[in-house]
Amino acid sequence: MHTHCIYLLKRYSLGDARRPLHETAVLVEDVVHTQLINLLQQAAEVSQLRGARVITPEDLLFLMRKDKKKLRRLLKYMFIRDYKSKIVKGIDEDDLLEDKLSGSNNANKRQKIAQDFLNSIDQTGELLAMFEDDEIDEVKQERMERAERQTRIMDSAQYAEFCESRQLSFSKKASKFRDWLDCSSMEIKPNVVAMEILAYLAYETVAQLVDLALLVRQDMVTKAGDPFSHAISATFIQYHNSAESTAACGVEAHGNAIQPCHIREAIRRYSHKIGPLSPFTNAYRRNGTAFLAC
Amino acid sequence: MEEEETYLELYLNQCAAQDGLAPPRSPLFSPVVPYDMYILNASNPETAFNSNPEVKETCGGFSSVDLSFLPDELTQEDKNQPVIGSKHETEENSESQSRLPSPSDIGLGSNSPSLSNPHSQQHPSDTDSVQASPEKPDSNSLPLASITPMTPVTSVSECCGIVPQLQNIVSTVNLACKLDLKKIALHAKNAEYNPKRFAAVIMRIREPRTTALIFSSGKMVCTGARSEEQSRLAARKYARVVQKLGFPARFLDFKIQNMVGSCDVKFPIRLEGLVLTHQQFSSYEPELFPGLIYRMVKPRIVLLIFVSGKVVLTGAKERSEICEAFENIYPILKGFKKA
Repeated sequence: MHTHCIYLLKRYSLGDARRPLHETAVLVEDVVHTQLINLLQQAAEVSQLRGARVITPEDLLFLMRKDKKKLRRLLKYMFIRDYKSKIVKGIDEDDLLEDKLSGSNNANKRQKIAQDFLNSIDQTGELLAMFEDDEIDEVKQERMERAERQTRIMDSAQYAEFCESRQLSFSKKASKFRDWLDCSSMEIKPNVVAMEILAYLAYETVAQLVDLALLVRQDMVTKAGDPFSHAISATFIQYHNSAESTAACGVEAHGNAIQPCHIREAIRRYSHKIGPLSPFTNAYRRNGTAFLAC
Repeated sequence: MEEEETYLELYLNQCAAQDGLAPPRSPLFSPVVPYDMYILNASNPETAFNSNPEVKETCGGFSSVDLSFLPDELTQEDKNQPVIGSKHETEENSESQSRLPSPSDIGLGSNSPSLSNPHSQQHPSDTDSVQASPEKPDSNSLPLASITPMTPVTSVSECCGIVPQLQNIVSTVNLACKLDLKKIALHAKNAEYNPKRFAAVIMRIREPRTTALIFSSGKMVCTGARSEEQSRLAARKYARVVQKLGFPARFLDFKIQNMVGSCDVKFPIRLEGLVLTHQQFSSYEPELFPGLIYRMVKPRIVLLIFVSGKVVLTGAKERSEICEAFENIYPILKGFKKA
């Protein structure tokens, strides 16, 4: 089951404690599963509108068109994926032959797909502008900084463990992932690149949940009389927490793990949109649940 | 054509007559091409040189590339003498640039037999001593030339003697004639051809262990070699196979397109720190690929850096780029050593 995967993803690699709570992992799995199924259904509707027979990455990109930041993160991911296959191909001669034999020009295929599609739906030019946009992704930056802080205090054994858990993803066991999403019961199925994107979105959802839950937890830890406690960044507090917990490990194993209540509160806050433009700032909603990943 | 061939014969006879011990002189040209020309043609005078029509053909075929060197060499007779010595020397120098002579030199000497085997018929001492050097200078060749370093040894202490080992070289060459792939596939050993899948013949040879993609236009890609000389040698061998099948294959525009090297810094690296401080150059997505991809600007090399300390360098057109890139990255990696 994917609980195992989520468990290992959360632990550590995305910012939770070394031994996250099982209940939290189950809850996160539930949330991710529901969200992905909903997303898949909406994507299926979109492709039906087009009269297509498979769910393509274009359908998913279409669903994400409203949230520029998340879309940009997805695009960056796709480009890095292209780039990585290009490099690895140059290194391993077997890969090189494989690629040549497969005939079609595979270089930068994801980038081409994305560019062509966004070109076709872009009315104002702002989507295409994203390709040149070099703005720093704040969320990504925060995650990198958090990881850096965490790893600084680890010893090499812990660090090796950490790295292993970071390498987990939903794309590794593609068939298991497909089954988990119950794609076989669907009329229109996603193609290979679309599955890659879905695996990435699942990962992103977990990451977002952990980010938000950490924020929620930080809010809960308010120091009496300190008016600025809400302004301190979540990573800062977590850093201090983890520094203390490593000194008194074992007993404190669950001490700073994310609780299910944090997750629920995070989702509640996320779905609760405030402000006049709230309906326009996020992608598809259905049944009141906003998508975390798009 | 005839004149060119006689020139070649003259030159080759002179080369074959030497023993390989010569006073060092300043190197005149890069060692790669002359070495190769010497090696392959040196074998020919040992076999029945003049009577072998095939050899003449080969010489004629290669003369289009190699002739550019001949006028320089033939104008000054005595340049032929120190040519071998200087070649040794340049090899020595380029090696000493990147590292101090170390026991690994002797270990690498074991590579040389692989080169000399096909040519070891006669004059074994002659061919061995020369053919050993293109690989890496082994213990045999060290006493041959007294080392007078031509360029200052650069920051050897920084790298603690770690030199990236070449793992794969991709090169291309133009055989400059239309080829009948079906015929090649039928008559050549170790050739596969599946026109429905891919429009080229895939040929493999065992020594040097390489794979070639041969296209009907006459262009060829050679992969899998572990050094520049091996890649060129392998490409020549493939060209010869094609020639033997009756095509007027030549050997034009041999170019190394990509070189891949790897090494181990022997300490774990904290990639999270590296990706944060070198954001403009690195991307690290562990869920996608376990290594950090570092795009170095100067030289333009891509490095794959792993937590274990292993580093893979790719995208180089020359060996010096790989060494330079590693020298650049090593101090940075030391800064992120995971205790």
